[in-house]
Amino acid sequence: MTASLGRILVLLSLLVSTTGAVLGYAAGWKRSADGLKWARRFAFAFALLMIAATFVMEYALITHDFSVSYVAQVGSRDVPLWVTIVSLWSSLEGSILFWGFILGIYIAGATWLTRNEHLDYMAYTIGTWLFCGSFFSFLIAGPASPFHTVAIPPLDGPGPNPLLQNHVLMAIHPPFLYLGYVGMTIPFGFATAALLRGRLGQAFLRPMRAALMLPWIFLTIAIMLGGWWAYEVLGWGGYWAWDPVENASLLPWLTATAALHSALVMERRGSLKGWTVTLVQASFLLTILGTFMTRSGVFNSVHSFTQSSIGPTILVFLAAILIGSVTLLAMRIDSLESDSRFEGPVSREGFFLINNLLFVLFTFTVLIGTVFPLLVEAVKGKQMSVGRPYFDSMVVPIGAALLFILGVGPALPWGRATRDQARRALLPPLIGAAIVAIIGYALGVRAPWTLVTLAFGGYAAQVTLGQMWLPVIQRIRRGDAAGPAIIDSQLRRGRRRFGGYLIHAGAVIVIVSIAVSSTMRTQQEVRLTRGESATVGGYTFVFTGTEQKNEPHRVSTLANFDIFKGGGPGGPGGGTKITHLAPRMNQYTAMRDPLGTPDVYTTLKGDIYLSIMNIEGDAVGVNVILTPMVGWIWWAVLLMGAGGIIALIPGSRAVALQARSETPVLQGDEVGAN
Amino acid sequence: MKRLILLLMLATSLVAQEVKIPDAEQFVGKPQGQPVSGALLDQRTNETGGLLRCPVCQGMSIADSPSEMAVNMKHQVRELIARGYTQEQILRYFERSYGQFVLLKPKFQGVNTLVWILPIIALAVGAFAIFSMMGKSGSQPVDEPPVATAEEDPYLAEVRKLTGRQS
Amino acid sequence: MNRVVLIAGILITVALVAILSAGLGKDPQHIDSPLIGKQAPDFALKAVGTGETIDLTQFRGKPLVVNFWATWCRPCYEEHPVLVSNAQMMQGQVQFLGVVFQDKEEKIQQFLNERGTAYPTLVDQAGKTAIAYGVGGVPETFFLNKDGRIVDKFVGPIDSESLQTNIRKAMTQ
Repeated sequence: MTASLGRILVLLSLLVSTTGAVLGYAAGWKRSADGLKWARRFAFAFALLMIAATFVMEYALITHDFSVSYVAQVGSRDVPLWVTIVSLWSSLEGSILFWGFILGIYIAGATWLTRNEHLDYMAYTIGTWLFCGSFFSFLIAGPASPFHTVAIPPLDGPGPNPLLQNHVLMAIHPPFLYLGYVGMTIPFGFATAALLRGRLGQAFLRPMRAALMLPWIFLTIAIMLGGWWAYEVLGWGGYWAWDPVENASLLPWLTATAALHSALVMERRGSLKGWTVTLVQASFLLTILGTFMTRSGVFNSVHSFTQSSIGPTILVFLAAILIGSVTLLAMRIDSLESDSRFEGPVSREGFFLINNLLFVLFTFTVLIGTVFPLLVEAVKGKQMSVGRPYFDSMVVPIGAALLFILGVGPALPWGRATRDQARRALLPPLIGAAIVAIIGYALGVRAPWTLVTLAFGGYAAQVTLGQMWLPVIQRIRRGDAAGPAIIDSQLRRGRRRFGGYLIHAGAVIVIVSIAVSSTMRTQQEVRLTRGESATVGGYTFVFTGTEQKNEPHRVSTLANFDIFKGGGPGGPGGGTKITHLAPRMNQYTAMRDPLGTPDVYTTLKGDIYLSIMNIEGDAVGVNVILTPMVGWIWWAVLLMGAGGIIALIPGSRAVALQARSETPVLQGDEVGAN
Repeated sequence: MKRLILLLMLATSLVAQEVKIPDAEQFVGKPQGQPVSGALLDQRTNETGGLLRCPVCQGMSIADSPSEMAVNMKHQVRELIARGYTQEQILRYFERSYGQFVLLKPKFQGVNTLVWILPIIALAVGAFAIFSMMGKSGSQPVDEPPVATAEEDPYLAEVRKLTGRQS
Repeated sequence: MNRVVLIAGILITVALVAILSAGLGKDPQHIDSPLIGKQAPDFALKAVGTGETIDLTQFRGKPLVVNFWATWCRPCYEEHPVLVSNAQMMQGQVQFLGVVFQDKEEKIQQFLNERGTAYPTLVDQAGKTAIAYGVGGVPETFFLNKDGRIVDKFVGPIDSESLQTNIRKAMTQ
């Protein structure tokens, strides 16, 4: 009964989205205000149906209704409630339903927020959104249906993959990822509509940028959460392995970041329109590629869902929208007017262009590395691997170059700069570069690329902080009080600017932390019996014994360690105990092999990380990993997210009214200015 | 009598034969470097281990993977380094058994060179495209008055108006 | 119509879709073996139960089936009876050998006592023989011809038909 209800809702959503898409495109073609109204209604209806179908599924999961095929697949009476709720996205079919759910919410939100604006474009935009919606409805209704009826419902199910139950981050990472991924559909709609209309004006830019910024924030945090989860849960002490599915999440982030920068130039100078539109389209196309990579079974990855027949379907959709987007782009790109000229490479616009190039190169390199083994196998029939060593070699120079641009670009003025101006802007931050590099060297950094990164980072930090606080400093010099100056300049009027520089500050910290944590890491395997201790990197680890914890769905064996600094307990150095760590080995009832969970102690300086390799009676083998500055990465990314939110908060009414007055009017109302 | 002869044969065969395990020497020759021990041994094991792919672990290196297969391989790597084998020899040994699949860093030979070269070609093409684009539209003599002003940043312009400064 | 964009775009599309569809239908877990056609690495290991050392070379002159397995591997349970019955059937014509690694001798002995055996089962040390053979997981079965050359390799639990086909290959190649 529940399964049938779910199936009906999904079929209805397929019907509604396809009809709405056709309606939207027709309304755009005919410039019909009535058609637009109806397209909007269909958009809301699609959203409602997707939300309802998702609620039906969650209801079935929580009530353990094993007559629904997806519940029989991932449900279990033994797991905690939060695990049941998040098992909605733990397996393939449910995850596509979740995609539809998020897409519905985005489409409804975007349709509502643009209800009085851009009537010229919105019909095409909604048509595009619903076209994408119809594809996912089709998947949920057909090849990936979670709502099949199980003829003889089992009494209990196996529960979701135990790896996904190990940590609470499992509940947060996928929703953030989907909010980021799926959200790229919205700016794609705006960009496609702009191309169809053949015009990309300033008034249209604002919703596209906002539509790009929101998913960007989610995706940035999602990628960080994925890395943090890998670090805290998997036990190898790293946070990024260049796994194909990890790369799939990174690719659209790279093009979206480039698009945001490109859009900035478009707003200030009216140029780079073609670049911006292409990057926005690429961001969406890469999410579809990403979903193919994760779900097709083509790629060997720790993240892959089990192989399924859904791959060819997604590939066909990808091919179709690729060809459509390329054709549309080729037809219209020359007609997107550009009203400014480039003043040469040593200018802010020039650096934005170089920025675009570097991000595209980054994207291209990651993509090539990920699909290359497939290419070789197709052409030569031989298997080869492209793994972490390749990506690390390629990405480090690109990352350093990006950090360089992050420092030099904002220091340069817009337009052609005289030699004098360039000198005044570019020389002072060298002090910052020198300071940070020297501090790094003093603290033991010797790897050349890391020192270079520190120097670039110091430079960028000084430029970023300088630019960020420039308005406040100028007001204080004039005589304003500091407090009100800060609040007014940064939070009331200059949010986009302040938010943007906050993001840059976070990015500098992230890049520097990644460089330091990768090259200054210490790792050692240690084998201890109860009472024994070992010293690694200035810390003494005392193994005090194991204990067992029993839970309904798993049995955990903990290995207890006391950690001292400056010598062992009661030893000649008189060490002080700094913490207690207890890495675990979990035996899940549903899995044959035990799964380890590491334990981590985080400080400002770095992390102490313990992960069990094996336990035999009273002896334990652990991996001791000391990683400096790794905790900075997570918090710096959150800083980036905060900057994004600040930048996103809408501006004053004056700005919005001005945008509205520039909107062309549709036939059927009255003939207005274009 | 027969049984006695059989027992004698068994006894002699036991004494005569010893366990023989396939060794890297058969495949890559004698060690070409110096024997290593201590902390350097750990470090070199991790380095080489990071270049070898665990065949059953979906892309992880044997240095990172906790699976028993990876641990065995890592011990083998450690032993070979301790005996003085170079990284190149060890990689060749594993490549012989598992194929290029086990090398996480693609060898620079044959069709694999593409994966290293294509990004560099892309950089060259992109840089050329951009600089020709910039040269085309913006080639003006240097003594032209600067275009950079605060007006380009409307917010900064407002601030400057408020503070009365022109720089 | 901007030709550059169009041609570049279509090239990228075609290349990407071609590469990705070539990957469909292939098993990403499958690994080819470079040892096929090469001489099998020599070894001499202790047999479970009798304790005698068995050398690979003593079986030259007959085709050889070498099966890598372990008691903790579920599919190995399925294929064991297939191997045993075929070994009995082909006694004298084809020699079978089992090699176990990453396991405990008592468990192996118990397994064989419960399920029977028709050929020697050898115990590897530290998985080194497995590494020399490029064994990624268990079970894996290698087929050697009478000169000790590896003719083929079968990954996963083997069924009677595949076993027969590969033995025929080992006999004729």
